[in-house]
Amino acid sequence: MTESTSFPPRVERIAEEAEPGSLRGTLLGIGRYLRRNPQLVFGLILLLALIAFTTLGRLFVDVTEARPLAGPASQPPSSEFPLGTDPQGRNILAVMIEGSYLTIRTGVVAGLIGIVFGSAVGFVAGYYGGWADRIITWVVDVLLTVPAILFLVIISAMLQTGLTSLGMALIIALLAWRRPARQVRSQILVMREAGYVEMAKLSGSGGLSIIFREIAPNLMPYLISSFIVAVAAAILASVGLEAMGLGPQNEPTLGMTIYWIMQFSAFLLGLWWWILPPVLILIVLFVGLYLLNAGLDELANPRLRRRT
Amino acid sequence: MYLQRILKRILTLLAVIWAAATLNFFLPQLAPKNPITEKLTQLAETSGVDGNRIAELTEAFNARFGLDRPLWERYFDYLGDIATFDFGLSIASYPARVGDLIGAALPWTIGLMVTTTLISFAIGTLVGAYAAWRRDSVLMQAVSSVLMVFSAIPFYLIGLVLIYFLAAKAGWFPISGGYSIFSIPGWNWSFAVEVFHHSILPALSIAIASIGIWAIGMRGMMVTVQGEDYMTFAKAKGLTPRRIFLRYGLRNAILPQVTTLALFFGQVVTGAVLVEIVFGYPGMGNLLLESITLFDYPTIYGIVFILIVTIAVSMLLVDLIYPLIDPRVRT
Amino acid sequence: MTLLQVRDLSIDYFTSTRVIHAVRGVSFDVAPAERVALVGESGSGKTTTALALMQMIEAPGKITGGTAHLKGEDLLALRGDAVRSSRLRRVAYIPQGAMNSLNPVLRLREQILDGLTDHGQRPDRRAADTLVAGALEGVGLSPALARAYPHQLSGGMKQRACIAIAIAMKPDLVIADEPTSALDVITQKQVMATLIAAQEDIGCGLLVIGHDMGLMAQATHRVIVMQDGLIAEDAPVGRIFHAPRHPYSKMLIESVPTLGRRTETAAPAVAKPSGGAGLMEFDGVSKTFGGGLLGRGAVRALDTCSFRLADDHPQIISVVGQSGSGKTTLARMILGFETQSAGEIRYRGTATSAMRAGEKRAYRREVQAIFQDPYGSFNPFYKVDRALSLPLENFDLAGDRPAERKRMEEACEAVGLDAGEILGRFPHELSGGQRQRLMVARALMIGPRLLVADEPVSMVDASLRMTILGNLQRLKDRFAISVIYITHDLATAYHVSDYVLVLHRGRIVEAGLPADVIENPAHPYTRSLVGAIPWPDPNRAWGDSRTDDTGWDARQIIRSQSQGFELAGAA
Repeated sequence: MTESTSFPPRVERIAEEAEPGSLRGTLLGIGRYLRRNPQLVFGLILLLALIAFTTLGRLFVDVTEARPLAGPASQPPSSEFPLGTDPQGRNILAVMIEGSYLTIRTGVVAGLIGIVFGSAVGFVAGYYGGWADRIITWVVDVLLTVPAILFLVIISAMLQTGLTSLGMALIIALLAWRRPARQVRSQILVMREAGYVEMAKLSGSGGLSIIFREIAPNLMPYLISSFIVAVAAAILASVGLEAMGLGPQNEPTLGMTIYWIMQFSAFLLGLWWWILPPVLILIVLFVGLYLLNAGLDELANPRLRRRT
Repeated sequence: MYLQRILKRILTLLAVIWAAATLNFFLPQLAPKNPITEKLTQLAETSGVDGNRIAELTEAFNARFGLDRPLWERYFDYLGDIATFDFGLSIASYPARVGDLIGAALPWTIGLMVTTTLISFAIGTLVGAYAAWRRDSVLMQAVSSVLMVFSAIPFYLIGLVLIYFLAAKAGWFPISGGYSIFSIPGWNWSFAVEVFHHSILPALSIAIASIGIWAIGMRGMMVTVQGEDYMTFAKAKGLTPRRIFLRYGLRNAILPQVTTLALFFGQVVTGAVLVEIVFGYPGMGNLLLESITLFDYPTIYGIVFILIVTIAVSMLLVDLIYPLIDPRVRT
Repeated sequence: MTLLQVRDLSIDYFTSTRVIHAVRGVSFDVAPAERVALVGESGSGKTTTALALMQMIEAPGKITGGTAHLKGEDLLALRGDAVRSSRLRRVAYIPQGAMNSLNPVLRLREQILDGLTDHGQRPDRRAADTLVAGALEGVGLSPALARAYPHQLSGGMKQRACIAIAIAMKPDLVIADEPTSALDVITQKQVMATLIAAQEDIGCGLLVIGHDMGLMAQATHRVIVMQDGLIAEDAPVGRIFHAPRHPYSKMLIESVPTLGRRTETAAPAVAKPSGGAGLMEFDGVSKTFGGGLLGRGAVRALDTCSFRLADDHPQIISVVGQSGSGKTTLARMILGFETQSAGEIRYRGTATSAMRAGEKRAYRREVQAIFQDPYGSFNPFYKVDRALSLPLENFDLAGDRPAERKRMEEACEAVGLDAGEILGRFPHELSGGQRQRLMVARALMIGPRLLVADEPVSMVDASLRMTILGNLQRLKDRFAISVIYITHDLATAYHVSDYVLVLHRGRIVEAGLPADVIENPAHPYTRSLVGAIPWPDPNRAWGDSRTDDTGWDARQIIRSQSQGFELAGAA
């Protein structure tokens, strides 16, 4: 019995396919993928819009007006002050532009330090094992059970006077390494046993070559995801501390703005133009980071990928 | 075997509490400021006490609070005290006892957090499981997206939005506080109504975000469970969709959620510090912030110790409860 | 008279750019009480066909045409609750992954009864007890297991429990989807016997899906061979095994090794003698995992074992055993991935623990391996070329780029791969067979003296297995390489090896020439292993299967020694 002509061919094309290699094919493939992964698209849009706001915004607005007495107090939005002023006479639009920058910078600096230190620690624990692993794992576990906010509140309260937003980032970085360390460790534990690592050994690769040429490239997706989570956590912590009044008193970060809003009872004064912008920007920032991470997760982890 | 494990767990618990309490004692000693001087300087500024007498007064107060004794002596006193939940006198609110301050704040926090957490857990878990079950429905995809967005927003930001729209603008709810400043706390109906009225916005701001968090977590687990072989077999057995959803899907997907819930309770004390601050709610969060800004060490010790105990107990709880809901770890 | 009549069944799968016609107008019948095999390789449409009978095709798949009449009623025309109601009651399903097919948080009792409850039967407590006990006893399980949870059962017991659940309502048709694929050969035979007994007892039709022709020859009456969504051949078991008509069925049958038709290879080529030291030597080596100060319950993975493999007699030595027998531990110690707990491992006369840099390098280069999972052996970050270029660069085997490229192309050709088609791709773009052959090419290109092949074909489609093993055999002769072939499959070991070691719980229980050990096993364990092999010959009875191992003594039976491989008896 052979295949008779009445049977349809095994595979039929019903839409244009990405021609591997060609630019058009690549774009087509990327476009199709993005349509299946709207989280990635929306996350990127939100974050890019915010970055554009704070980088392009300072071309049009004088960010030095983000200080007290830059204008009259508690003015509603006008052509001169598009978002009005606060009771101390800051130009709120300038505060938002500068504050977004400062807050994002705090997050990125703390996240970066956290990810670098954390992955180094996680790496040592996972790759070398033994006592180093036991001690590191124990320390990370203990540090992870105690709420970060407690440590941070105590530390920043001790150092409160003269704190800058960069100092804030360093304080937060003290704890930002815990999760990356744990995550990198567990990934290394898996990859250390991978078939391709054993193959590399059989191919004469030494320890360092295996670490940097075999394991590290495969760790990248996890590091990127860890980094985004660390940035989000650092921003969350910094804004939280600042909203408690434990932040840099002389810098117009978003968290300090929230603090002043509460200190000046903005709700009772009805200063809506002061309250809504920082809350909205922070919501955009947190949602953007969350969606970006969820989108990248789906990209990196095929098991979570929806069936096509 | 099981008993032996419980015993081992309890010993670990005590060790953890001891280690954390010790750390908690020594860490603030590194602070560059003397709390007594701070407090007296503050008093001097506000009430016109002669600045020159501060040094003299400091010494007297140091003696009063026992801060002039050697560190190790104070450490052992500290251990003895916390074992009996006696945290001494507050510096900031002298002569109030720390135990009384905590006793006044704790019920507010626990009442708010435990109720909200349980309700959010129940709603979030069910919604999340259903969202995974009906993954292809447009409605459920929309619900999932909304929940995902909510889960990413910190509680207090939602709180600020709610205060602005529902309290400041609409005037439906009070802007701040746990009860009206004009009423006297007591066990009567009208006060209870007032407390409830004041707690709605803080509870809502926690619930909106945490329903999202529980739902997204549950949805992910449920999707994983749906890919399991036993779900296929359950379908092939011709079971009713209701049984497959509840006994096969939800029953398995909920296991990690329960662990998270127990650990969540461990963080109840500090879980919503900022919500309390934003709403001026008279709970542990505000007490903690106050005592830290005023360098009230005894109160900080007390709060932190309560925190450590709740965390350690919640972890013990996980260990004890988990075998009951998952037969695989029972052996 | 027929029980099931499938006509023109078509099933399509939709991706964003393609329609895949997974099943293309398939028609077949099942007679009452008949056992029918549905065989084919992955992607042939066999499972899809069977699942369609229960309307269990999930999106993006769709049944696009055809009928399936069971006792006159079209299963594909059922709608709504009738679909659910017909499952278990009329058509029952025994799942493939027995390991994970039972709900881990429910007791067996509930998992047997819930199906009945949802089909309208509500027995009272006493009746339910009797029913559950009967169902369990029917598949050879103790009624006491009703209160057990799935994790308390072994793999074979879980699969029996699945059978008990599936046949509890005495269905007209039972579909068994690779019912024994995760089980070892002895358990496979017992479970298959249970399934057949149960099927004969209730007199239902049985559709067994699988890829193992040997198993089908022993267990079924008729075989339907599927390929690319079409039926290639549909014939009674006696006919198809003796005179297959379709080339594909012929190839499938021939790819299963049989007893007696052993392809004798030429006498091993003699390489340059290396003096007395030998190539690889195990001197009283054993391996224990766990234990130590904190751990309890140390596990003896490999009992004391001594052998000496000479340099001048290239041969294939098979190490056969079930999972947990210690065969992989042995392989990993040869490769230096695991350190022995006692004894000494020597390569070319030098203990591996005391090698100097140069000796270590030679050892690394000369002892190579092929692993079970060809996909995991490639670093997913790089193109497959790197698997070949990395050893060339590290061992300085090729001078410049063009020379390197040439070596890589030659290596591909040596195993019958088209270099132009393979090189420059990422691992996931190759098929499993291509990946594994590339791994063989890699190992040979390095020019090893000893090659450890750890289950090199167990994840490759049946039709390619003998090809890859044949490759190994030829290359052994051509390049004078000794091969340690680690496998659970006695049949392939019988065909390719020059000497066989049978491992059981860390001990070598029997050793000798394949013709002795497998055609005429002496140790009771080997006997039951050999007896459980389903040979692809319907006339050959599936031998007796002993289960209780109380009589298995600590004896070690060395039937004969091979020239160039000296095995020392256990102390």
